[in-house]
Amino acid sequence: MNLPPAILDLKIAPPDGRPFHLWLPLFLLWPLALALGVFVLALTILTDFVLIVLGQRYHHYTILVARALAALLDLRGMVVRINDGKTAVDMTVQ
Amino acid sequence: MSEDRSRILNMLAEGKITAEEAERLLDALDARGAANSSAGPAIKGDATPLIAALPKFLYVKVMAENGDNVDVKIPIALVRSGLKLTSLIPPQAMDQINDSMSEHGMSVDFSNLKPEDIDDLVEALREMEVNVDSANGDKVRVYTA
Repeated sequence: MNLPPAILDLKIAPPDGRPFHLWLPLFLLWPLALALGVFVLALTILTDFVLIVLGQRYHHYTILVARALAALLDLRGMVVRINDGKTAVDMTVQ
Repeated sequence: MSEDRSRILNMLAEGKITAEEAERLLDALDARGAANSSAGPAIKGDATPLIAALPKFLYVKVMAENGDNVDVKIPIALVRSGLKLTSLIPPQAMDQINDSMSEHGMSVDFSNLKPEDIDDLVEALREMEVNVDSANGDKVRVYTA
């Protein structure tokens, strides 16, 4: 299993004005995200259970949310660099 | 350190290649080393070198004639997760997505994307390479490494 993204590094250099640099230690949010994830998953399990009881065909919200969380974990390593000659944006997820 | 590896690092230090290019070359070197070391009659024991040799990132580079540059590095694991997520979107939302895509000229029906096809799709992606050189000088490169 992958570790969640630990650091978000965002640099924006506008054509005129001060460059903006955000270094966000995402690892500090891990405990909060874990608690939130558990809460949301508990809610979706309940929702899916109700949907099954009601006979609905689509009752996959738990898997949907779990996969969405997995996609968030896989963000680690993503790099986006955009430079239009005036403004430069550099975002790295580590 | 191998001779090839030190040559790549020297080229990087001399500014002949960019850090991205050096990374690609080093990855390719690692992949070649792993392939050579695993060229035995059968795969036995630890398969880690083989797994390490697989591309891990999808690169999208756009170099426009007017100087605009876009450089995106996407983990292949994220592509896989995204595709798996797509196959689970509720039908009502999927219809809206398909309609919206169709309005923008992309008639892709994501509801046809089955979870069992995703692994094959991602595997095929690993060998994909797209090079576009337009007449006005714009260049688009999509590859995995």
